[in-house]
Amino acid sequence: MVQRLKEVDVVIIGVGMVGSIVAKELAAAGYKVVGLERGQPRFTVPDFQGPAVHDELRFDIRKALMQDNTRETVTFRNHGSETALPVRRWESFLPGTGLGGSHVHWNGQTYRFQANDFELASKTRARYGAKFLSPEVTIQDWGVTYADLEPHYDRFEYLLGTSGKAGNLRGKIQPGGDPFESPRSRDYPTPPMKEHYQGALFRKAATELGLHPFPQPSSNLSQPYTNPEGVKLNACVFCGFCERYACEHYAKAVPQTIILPVLLKNPNFELRTGCQVQRINLDSTKTKATGVTYIDTAGREFEQPASLVITASFALNNVRMLLLSGIGKPYDPATGKGVVGRNYAYQTMSSVASFFDEDVIINPFMASGASGTLINDFAGDNFDHAKLGFIGGAFVGAVNTNGRPIQYHPVPPGTPAWGRGWKQAVAKHYNHTVMFSIHGSSVPQRQNHLDLDPTYKDAWGQPLLRMTFDFPQNDLKMAEYVTARAVEIGKAMGAKQVAGNPRKGPYTVTQYQTTHNTGGTVMGDDPATSVVNRYLQSWDIPNVFVIGASAFPQNASWNPTNTIGALTYWATSALKNQYLKNPGRLVSA
Amino acid sequence: MRTLRRLPELSACLSRVACLSLVFAVPALGAVAEKPMPGDAGRGAALAVACQACHGAHGEGNPAGGFPRLAGQTTDYLAGQLRNYADGRRASPVMAPVAKALDAQKRADVAAFFAEQSAPYAAQSVHPTPGQLQRGRLLVRVGDESKQLQACANCHGPDGSGERYAAPYLAGQSAAYLANAIREWKAGTRHSGEKQMGPVVLRLDDQDIAALSAYLESLGEASH
Repeated sequence: MVQRLKEVDVVIIGVGMVGSIVAKELAAAGYKVVGLERGQPRFTVPDFQGPAVHDELRFDIRKALMQDNTRETVTFRNHGSETALPVRRWESFLPGTGLGGSHVHWNGQTYRFQANDFELASKTRARYGAKFLSPEVTIQDWGVTYADLEPHYDRFEYLLGTSGKAGNLRGKIQPGGDPFESPRSRDYPTPPMKEHYQGALFRKAATELGLHPFPQPSSNLSQPYTNPEGVKLNACVFCGFCERYACEHYAKAVPQTIILPVLLKNPNFELRTGCQVQRINLDSTKTKATGVTYIDTAGREFEQPASLVITASFALNNVRMLLLSGIGKPYDPATGKGVVGRNYAYQTMSSVASFFDEDVIINPFMASGASGTLINDFAGDNFDHAKLGFIGGAFVGAVNTNGRPIQYHPVPPGTPAWGRGWKQAVAKHYNHTVMFSIHGSSVPQRQNHLDLDPTYKDAWGQPLLRMTFDFPQNDLKMAEYVTARAVEIGKAMGAKQVAGNPRKGPYTVTQYQTTHNTGGTVMGDDPATSVVNRYLQSWDIPNVFVIGASAFPQNASWNPTNTIGALTYWATSALKNQYLKNPGRLVSA
Repeated sequence: MRTLRRLPELSACLSRVACLSLVFAVPALGAVAEKPMPGDAGRGAALAVACQACHGAHGEGNPAGGFPRLAGQTTDYLAGQLRNYADGRRASPVMAPVAKALDAQKRADVAAFFAEQSAPYAAQSVHPTPGQLQRGRLLVRVGDESKQLQACANCHGPDGSGERYAAPYLAGQSAAYLANAIREWKAGTRHSGEKQMGPVVLRLDDQDIAALSAYLESLGEASH
């Protein structure tokens, strides 16, 4: 028995960062908005308080803040010829759940993509020729430019209070910042974080090598800050429990500390938690959404009619929602036709460990999620790829986020994996090792995609999302090249031993890499190669907007959050100023 | 290959203790770059005579007089506070001349003496209502989301029992002293630890301050 509820103006699927921002803007503009969150409500007080919040076993190992994969997970295979199996324990990537979504357990690393990234296909053709890449690589332009998004990046950073140092203010290069960044209209809202010792070692060595180190932009704040919504944040205390954890200090910018206090006071907004959306409902002509159907924690089924439906969940779940709802043509890797699930991309993560003598004391536990020092000299298209045979790159940095005892024990290659020899090596190297992160771009290629699994279903009987993914050769070449450059920095730092660990195939889902899953509902100018238009509006169903990293046509060299935030404000602005005044297609197909 | 073993010009953060100070942005130590000096409790015993009239023979404090308990706080914390009184980061007509009369070594010595003490708790000076105890316990253990106010326990340990090297214990501390410290941060007259404590205390009203300090003082008695 489905209970039909009173119609509202807007229903939002997922109340994480994207959902909170869209809801706040539209509720403030006078629309009746319902936010449906499948997880639990949770707030800094009482849910994120010490000492329980620093329980490494509970949060790091047992992943207490993540999507419950006993009820809902993805299936995985490397290639189309294999049978995908369910991911029964999150390792490679960690989708969150609950109010605030994955943003609650992020690290606060807040980069902008570069102008080049948004026009990657045309810029690559122009610089390296049309035949530079394999036809299997399906990079494409975003349909928006950096200039379109700049005001929205700016707004998002000021919402978060991001701590950093500008490198390019309105075209003028600023000493101490990232000289490769695309021009920003003003500096970061708060000054950069304090530099830790490994960051200082990295900066000195990178400078000597003629590279351009700068402080990592951080949304764990360097000082107290009141954002434009009037919400106050505190300064980070460098406790070393950021990623996989929630912040007890109101110092990490997450929905609970930047916007929910304002949103939840608005009577135009209603938050409903424990609501598992089953599908977006379409009318009989299949050209218009009529609302959504969801099941609450008591197992009751509801239909929530709405004039506008916004999917604002984690990238993978946005893709699945469209597939479950029959919105857009599913992608078929055999023919290359179809769009939903196409251009799934990830992030190509490598690392370098630099082992020092015992008189060099690193104190790795003295860290926040984003207090490192890094370079962009080998990121994006900041270096000439003509002779290299690949595109893309990675940032390289001493950006280690913690020294937590269960998970952090760097040891040199050749160390036994267990037993006395391993224990001795951990004790010897724990406090005398610098880990570099090499955070690489990811190109889409024809066979990598997302679709519905033919076999496995979730706790509500709906097909799981199936991921088919392996690293493209392009990205493995990139990882090898940039990791070699990073090894040079480790040596220049004076390390006794430097171990480079470039990412190698095949992709494995059982080893943590990063939670930067992108694509599957990509944006663009052509309905044949994109699911949503440049305003993140579905080409097929104009009253459905799909917002999140699922819109990225490919992934760049940096963490995606800032770009998701910029896209959110960009799309929200189009909703407020165009769509809701005159509902219909914002771009004609 | 050039080696970079030590880079003092790059970072003040070479010694383990100085690093910890920076990491936890030690609320009460004020400036953090100064490398703590090891103290000698034996030498400190002789110097402590000047302190004992107010702070008690073993640093048990005098809650009724608002003189804080010193017994068992860390040497670094206590020496840091003496330095703060000496250079005016903390204003006190009583403590300033005492602290100024001690050089850095003597401050460390007397601090080491009190750090080693383990004294019974002095009699409670306040008699909180059940409502105050409940409010105080909530603020110490859980915080108050309506004020975006975190629990004291995040930095000061479970029930204010202290986080060694990072933050002093508050449990069993004189309520009058605690309330005064909070008011000084609120008024902006205390220039040590203000970066961490400043934003927190702004969220406390007079009733919260009374409840919080009374609850914390009551924990001394409870521990017996």
